Amino acid sequence: MKTLLTFILFVLLEQNVHAVAYCSLRDPIAQIEQLFPLKTNQLSIVRSVNNDIRNQVKLALPSNDLHFSELGKHTLYVAMNKSEALGYVHVRSEQSTWGLVEIIWALDKDLKIKNFAFQRCRSPKKKIINDDNFKKMFIGKNYQDLKKLLSSDGVTANSTLLDKARNAPQLASVILRCALKTLLITDILWGEELQKFNR
Amino acid sequence: MGILFLAFFLLFSVAADADFTDNLRWSVDASARLNNNVMAKNISYITALGLDSHKVFTSSNGDIGYAVGQLYFTKLSNQTPVPWMFNSKNDSKFVIREAHLNYTAGPNWIPNIRFGHFTLPFGLEESIDTNGRLLDYNLGKNLGTKLDWGLGLNQVLNQLEYSFSYTLGGKDEPKSVNDSYALSGRIGSLSHLDFIFGFSFFSSKIDNIQREKFAIDWQYYWNTWGLVGEVVLGRDKRERHQWRKEQYYLLELHKTSISEQLKLYGQYIFINKEAEYSNQQLINIGLSYQIGAKLELSISSRQQLNAPKSGNKQNLIRLQLRYRY
Repeated sequence: MKTLLTFILFVLLEQNVHAVAYCSLRDPIAQIEQLFPLKTNQLSIVRSVNNDIRNQVKLALPSNDLHFSELGKHTLYVAMNKSEALGYVHVRSEQSTWGLVEIIWALDKDLKIKNFAFQRCRSPKKKIINDDNFKKMFIGKNYQDLKKLLSSDGVTANSTLLDKARNAPQLASVILRCALKTLLITDILWGEELQKFNR
Repeated sequence: MGILFLAFFLLFSVAADADFTDNLRWSVDASARLNNNVMAKNISYITALGLDSHKVFTSSNGDIGYAVGQLYFTKLSNQTPVPWMFNSKNDSKFVIREAHLNYTAGPNWIPNIRFGHFTLPFGLEESIDTNGRLLDYNLGKNLGTKLDWGLGLNQVLNQLEYSFSYTLGGKDEPKSVNDSYALSGRIGSLSHLDFIFGFSFFSSKIDNIQREKFAIDWQYYWNTWGLVGEVVLGRDKRERHQWRKEQYYLLELHKTSISEQLKLYGQYIFINKEAEYSNQQLINIGLSYQIGAKLELSISSRQQLNAPKSGNKQNLIRLQLRYRY
């Protein structure tokens, strides 16, 4: 009876779930190779995005929240060339008028954006990602640099970024919000552990 | 089975420096399904309580592989027809769904190696998982089983992905029964794209029935809409019978809300079996609604459009509540 109660308590305390069966999980192998062509393997580090992390995101980025699918266990991939870490890969989703946009972010070891690609984007404006002038607004930037591109409402991009976004202002804001959440969550959840790769 | 234990042992040995809970996902998965077979005037229930787990094994140089384990206690109440793994309409038993290891640490040019009990790589199910859902792509009926024990090779390349398997044909038993086997495979474009297509093959002897099948599947996504289809052509042969041709066509249109909490789908299915004299034309409509991250409500209705030669038209309404802790 005691064992059963302990089990039930343990089960009820477990907050982080994945809404679909785990056999549907897939590593974004093709995209990691695209972003880190020299990688020989990837090292997965799984951590929980829980309500505490969600509240920290809301505090740091007022007017923003995490989609329910963003709660639960998530993987950060360390792109490896044999025993050397090349950088990190993190996939995050952002809600948009075209459903969830999933972006795969490549970060360098200083947690600056190295590159990014859509894993899933059903916006008709998704070719914006091939525009070098738009991409340069993100590459080499860290969380603080990118936060300067957010307008005062906390959810849309300001004119500095929108000037480069041509006819896709809505998608540009989605990408910016996703970048900010990715950098913030990566730092909060994995930052300490990733320091070993900088030695 | 011995090979599976050896594989577990090897993976644990290599990753012995890590805590087992590192990179471990697990959930308790509980579901209650009500089936109302309107024409047969039969209401039945299927309840399941299980553990779903996923574990990535790593070394300091990267991932070695991952394991998926799903064990469910499943209870039937007045369920007819009785699913093949149960003995009666009120039976209950522990069911192993997925239980496999996928070794991923080889050089880039070497495929990953999967062994254990896994979903056969064939058709739409390879990229759209229906495990525990009302949504279904008829994989079990087309192939004679949805899962089997065996060995597989799989890989994601720059422009395509593939998965091939050789399994024992024992379905839930890790052994060959009366020379049973199954050879299955799918090669397709990358499954995260907006337009996906794949080609599959299947050759087997399961439950003393030989099957040969080929399939083409595709998915096209635009905004929050998806158009999905599958064509399966093949034949089967029972002992002391002739080969008989079969055709299966599926066309599905689905729509999700922008938050993806609500999913609606409609399917048209055409099944033609040489042995059955008349074809079946079916319509499935359904929805699922995700209430928070844990609770999902699903409803579906299956109606047969054409009258069968004998018996009643299919008319099945199903409702499922699924809770994942």
